[in-house]
Amino acid sequence: MEFAATVVILTCTYALLAAGIVILYKAGRVVNFAHGELAIVGGYVFYSSGLMAGDESLWLAIAGALAFSIVMGLVIYMTMMRRLVGEPFYVAILVTVGLGIVLKSAILVIWRAERLTIDVGVAPALRLAGGASLSYMDIVSVLLTIAFFAGLYLFFRFTRLGVQFRGTAENALLASQRGVNVNFVLSLSWVIAIMAASLSGVLYGGRAFLSTESVTIGLAGLTAALVGGLDSLRGAVAGAFIVALAQYLTVRLISPVLSEAVPFLLLLVVMSIRPWGLFGTLEEFDRV
Amino acid sequence: MSRAGTNLRTSYLESNEVLHRPYQKVLMAIVLAVAVLLPAATSTYFVHLLDLCFLSAIGALGLMLLTGYCGQISLGHAAFLAVGAFTTVILTVHVRAPFLVVLPAAAVSGALLGFIVGLPSLRFRGVYLAISTLAMHYAIIYLATSYQANFGSSATAGITIPDPAIGPFVLAGDQAWYYFLFVLLILITAACINLTRTRPGRAWMAIRDRDIAAQALGVNLTYYKLLAFMASSALASLSGSLLAYYSNVVTVEKYTLDLAVIYVAMIIVGGMGSILGALLGAIFITLLPFAIDSLFGYLPRAWRFGSTLFGVQVGAVGTCIILFLLFEPKGLAEIWRRMEVYFDRWPFRYRPLETVRR
Amino acid sequence: MKRLVLRSLFTALVLAACALSANLASAQNSYVIGYITDLSGPLADSYTPTWEGFELYIKALNDRGGIGGKKIDVVLDDDGLKADRAVAAAKKQVERDNVIGIFGLSLSSTQGPVYVEMRKAGVPVVTTFSGILDALPPAKPFSYSAGVVFEVAGEAIGELIKNIKPNGKVVGMTFDSVGGRAAISHNKRMVESLGYTWDEVIFPVTTSDFTPFAQAAVEKKPDIVVGHYGSGQNLGVIPALRRSGYTGPYVVASYGVTEDTVRQAAQRAGNDQNVYYVTRYSTVYDSNPAVAEVAAAQKKYGTSKPFSSMHLTGWALGRFVESALKACGWPCSREKLDNVIQTLKVDVSGLTGGPIEMSPQDHYGPSYWRLYVWNESAKKMEPKGDWLKKTALKFPVQ
Repeated sequence: MEFAATVVILTCTYALLAAGIVILYKAGRVVNFAHGELAIVGGYVFYSSGLMAGDESLWLAIAGALAFSIVMGLVIYMTMMRRLVGEPFYVAILVTVGLGIVLKSAILVIWRAERLTIDVGVAPALRLAGGASLSYMDIVSVLLTIAFFAGLYLFFRFTRLGVQFRGTAENALLASQRGVNVNFVLSLSWVIAIMAASLSGVLYGGRAFLSTESVTIGLAGLTAALVGGLDSLRGAVAGAFIVALAQYLTVRLISPVLSEAVPFLLLLVVMSIRPWGLFGTLEEFDRV
Repeated sequence: MSRAGTNLRTSYLESNEVLHRPYQKVLMAIVLAVAVLLPAATSTYFVHLLDLCFLSAIGALGLMLLTGYCGQISLGHAAFLAVGAFTTVILTVHVRAPFLVVLPAAAVSGALLGFIVGLPSLRFRGVYLAISTLAMHYAIIYLATSYQANFGSSATAGITIPDPAIGPFVLAGDQAWYYFLFVLLILITAACINLTRTRPGRAWMAIRDRDIAAQALGVNLTYYKLLAFMASSALASLSGSLLAYYSNVVTVEKYTLDLAVIYVAMIIVGGMGSILGALLGAIFITLLPFAIDSLFGYLPRAWRFGSTLFGVQVGAVGTCIILFLLFEPKGLAEIWRRMEVYFDRWPFRYRPLETVRR
Repeated sequence: MKRLVLRSLFTALVLAACALSANLASAQNSYVIGYITDLSGPLADSYTPTWEGFELYIKALNDRGGIGGKKIDVVLDDDGLKADRAVAAAKKQVERDNVIGIFGLSLSSTQGPVYVEMRKAGVPVVTTFSGILDALPPAKPFSYSAGVVFEVAGEAIGELIKNIKPNGKVVGMTFDSVGGRAAISHNKRMVESLGYTWDEVIFPVTTSDFTPFAQAAVEKKPDIVVGHYGSGQNLGVIPALRRSGYTGPYVVASYGVTEDTVRQAAQRAGNDQNVYYVTRYSTVYDSNPAVAEVAAAQKKYGTSKPFSSMHLTGWALGRFVESALKACGWPCSREKLDNVIQTLKVDVSGLTGGPIEMSPQDHYGPSYWRLYVWNESAKKMEPKGDWLKKTALKFPVQ
């Protein structure tokens, strides 16, 4: 029972990160190597905004994280990504790497590399068989993830903006010819991705801790996205689940130390069989 | 004799020259002279920094061949540096092999591992290839950590290696290393230039630009891709081995993913697809943190002691990379080329109408 | 716009390059020493307060008039936990700033290379916080330590566990690093020699969730769990252990883990009463004049990090430096300083269980360790048992 709970919660963390990466790749064909850093900084912002009015306030924290996502998404797109149209793909990737370094230094300068934990609702809520327990935060995080993905699904399927989004993802030139404000859509993709990342960061801060070292969860999210298919949200969830399950099983059955390499080994296996991911679309690999 | 103007060549022999125009020859002579006289003129600290630059330059050249010329993205460079370092450890500690045996041995072990790491490149491209090289990185680092942990005598601080000896000479001290590395670097650069100007180089560039077309033209993808990986990892291992001897201590904690990213930054900031770019990029990225440190050193004492400033220095490196990519994606080599062209055409500003493309 | 950016960037870099290669003059009317540590890297959280503690002591000392009227000038450099930068900083300090000794340093992986280089240059290096076997007998020249050596800590903790439970099964946890494995191996040998049974869980350095590892540990049915890692991992592991149903004692091995971390972790785990802490230097909750003195200095000069045992560690090093420089006299050279340190005995009562003693063969000396327990209701740490004196490794490393 606790095995299932742990795997589910881990899946949620990875799925949120993978969703962000998939959204960015689908919309702008950018593989974001700074996703982990964005997630952790989002967590830090959440923590600090919650304390801004002196007393701990959940609403302020959420508002702060939202504001951060919006501002950061706009800034990244407008100042950096927009200028890189037409450049080879690795330029955008390396810019995100540079961005990651800058965000890491922000943690050092603004928060003085303090190790933070987000202690919202960590009291045990549900006792499981065998002595283990789930906290409120664990339950809420699963619900939030489900809500997020449901929201995304509804957004893309039923809203006008969502359809424009899908159009831009298919063919940005054609979409802009038809009146879609591609800049707006792409900025929005960054905003949504960073929101997902921040949520993931907050959940991670709740279960582990936030620090400059925590940013490596971005790689795990990236492998989850790659396993599931870089341009499929469904794949993001599937990939996240597989990676989480594989990691957990490795820890319990094989050797805990190997669990760091497991996502990559898994990726090697998947890519040997089905390089475009489980749910991805086979596209011209040149752009990848 | 190029009386036809500095841009035109009139014989095959001439077109093979590396330094074609007179000013290039003069420039090279000046650079060599400066390089030889430099240690006498500056502090040992600066010579030490230059030694670090030369060491990274060797590794960067390797990565440039693989990524800049052949177009295969690799994030496993740190692992190959580790391979070189640990091969050195194994050979010096267990077998007591001399310096001149260990260096080629490290290069060979690097090449062998490069072969294995290069195998996924036959199937994947781009980001997927990068991630598979990342998987190899973790695998190699895991092995290295186990080795160091089971080393026996104190290895928490790393494994110590004695100073290398070439015959009766012991290679120790920044100055001696400077000359040794300088000569070695010249030889390796010459080798790389030759590689890129002959068949392997042309094959690699064809693969980089459009590998399907290259294959259609008869380029054996398997052979050349694996060759690129092996060449790159051989150089990286060589660099790792030299660094192990230089710093006398090997510890696995040094070989992180960040290090691999730094090497990639070197070749991108330097300018992809150019040997000069690898050298410039290596020097730039290696010296950047130290340069920023010393710039900040001029600030008043009270400011420095707040640790916030050190965080800003870290951010400055990342910002530099971003700015370079935004404003000069072709890197330092492109800036160099523009300067060359400017002086070449001076006092004219624009290209003459009929000209042979360089 | 582009040209402006490029040109200004270029100019800045040229200036920086000139700055790098220049030879600076240095003041000659004060003792110049160097301090290199991690102020911006992954472990800045732990090394910054250690530096601050040292800085507090030096500031107080200078305000008192210094040593024989001469002030102490500390050249501070950041190594970002990278061995390359540590070595470069050390060389710069030796050559350009003319320091007579280098202090502090950061994690063991940076210490090895610096020790080697400074041995060649003949500059004594005294590390604190962490330490490596170079300082233990047979000690290597110019290499000293007043910090926590993994192997020694592992054994000390093994002995101190007796104060919690006299027998049973001990599960040790660490992350996959050379230092962690070394600590675990010595911990294991010590507890097994005292009659406990042992098992261990080693997890990767970067993990997304500590729960699977906690569950793996709980599965082994431990009576005591010991954690050999830093602050962050403790914050993650302790609640994970409790969530997985383990209610027994948990020992935090203090490799830079602050009291605040323990407090936070205990709180996260639901007001835990079973968290223990083993450290070489006192905690800030100890009421003795030495700790009070540091607290007063901290209030007077201010620090950016909250007051913790790390500050005490740095302060003790400051005391060490004062004794050394006093014994050295004026003018003090590197050789003289090295000779002086080799026979130094520094009184740091209150900050640890006994004096820091160096000898020509042993550059670490006896170290004192103590077990504390976190008292959740009083919100402070209380000592459990007296100081344990460790004079040598029981299981020497071959």
